[in-house]
Amino acid sequence: MTRHVTLAGLTLAAGLALAALPAAADDGAAFPMPEGKLYLEECGGCHTAYAPGLLPARSWKKMMAELEHHFGEDATFGAEAEKAVSALLTELAADGRRANTLMRRIAGSIPAADAPQRISGTPFFKFMHDEVPNSFWKRTKIGTAANCVACHTRANLGRYYEREVSIPK
Amino acid sequence: MKISILAMTLALAYSGLTSAATPQQILAELNAKAGGSSVARGEKLYRGQFGGEIKSCMGCHTEDARASGRHVKTHKAIEPLAPVANKERFTDMAKVEKWFRRNCKEVLARECTAQEKADFTAYMLSLK
Ligand code: HEC
Ligand code: HEC
Ligand code: HEC
Repeated sequence: MTRHVTLAGLTLAAGLALAALPAAADDGAAFPMPEGKLYLEECGGCHTAYAPGLLPARSWKKMMAELEHHFGEDATFGAEAEKAVSALLTELAADGRRANTLMRRIAGSIPAADAPQRISGTPFFKFMHDEVPNSFWKRTKIGTAANCVACHTRANLGRYYEREVSIPK
Repeated sequence: MKISILAMTLALAYSGLTSAATPQQILAELNAKAGGSSVARGEKLYRGQFGGEIKSCMGCHTEDARASGRHVKTHKAIEPLAPVANKERFTDMAKVEKWFRRNCKEVLARECTAQEKADFTAYMLSLK
């Protein structure tokens, strides 16, 4: 029992620290990223390693169950490693236990019956980018709204601070 | 907390599974399976136009495998494929096999044969 209480306390403390740190530095546009290389290698090879906090857990579960037909690609990489990545995604999802204020806002903006697969299609994404001119998305070095790292230079670290945005010509 | 430790342990376990090799060792292993390889056939595979969703390896890896490429669908920059320009290439058999499987399906609409994989790798290693 005491052990459970301590664990809960630790989780709470860690959660608070996570939520407080980025908020103090900037508007909280930072997401926790999975530790280690696994996520970056398996989910960052074809595109930005999207921060798990950009979608709710149910979106990631659906995606991980359909990896063989992932936006027209075979993104599978072996059942065991896929299970590990699923755990990482769920842990840090927008509605996960370690969600910060921004992540909770994202989770709250998605209807409970939906499990969106595109971050770039969420109301949150559209709201954050309504001042970006349409023509920008079509520039060769950007190409699609889902190419976060083209403009958010530190997206693979989960950082989307406005001051770190650099839009390629 | 408990879950995060579990996830970390799993993540570490899997990154530990990938074993480092030299490109020469990778080629030797592929050669052994295919019974030899040809640089010229490998270059034909690299430059050829096929019937998959994306017509050629050059679609993402460009005309020069020593140059940086760009993913045709996601527009993400791709580091050079030739080991002479990128020392991390062809150093992990599991990674090499994974990308052959995906990219051959994408371009040839089928998996590559052991012969094609050995030829392609021989061509990549021949680039100076
Ligand atoms: C073999 C290449 C490949 C791999 C590996 C891959 N993806 Fe993708 N992913 C794609 C493609 C292609 C798209 C569609 C891009 C587009 O249409 O702009 C995509 C789109 C996405 C999107 C939607 C982006 C948006 O907002 O529009 C998410 C989220 C995503 N992938 C997550 C993942 C995760 C998580 C993994 C690891 C489990 C992964 N991907 C691995 C190729 C890949
Ligand atoms: C064309 C370049 C571009 C791309 C591609 C892009 N963004 Fe942005 N993003 C911006 C700009 C510019 C802003 C600042 C907008 C503003 O404040 O008016 C921004 C703002 C944001 C913010 C809010 C930052 C803050 O300080 O509050 C988040 C979060 C964000 N983007 C996430 C993403 C994600 C996730 C992706 C990929 C799925 C992405 N962006 C793709 C240009 C881009
Ligand atoms: C749709 C885009 C695309 C096409 C077309 C494509 N590739 Fe790739 N390829 C990639 C990406 C993305 C990676 C991983 C990039 C990274 O690790 O940075 C990759 C990596 C590889 C690797 C792994 C090398 C290593 O050790 O890291 C091999 C081998 C490979 N490709 C072979 C091929 C072959 C053969 C073809 C043509 C039949 C081909 N590719 C066509 C996108 C593509």
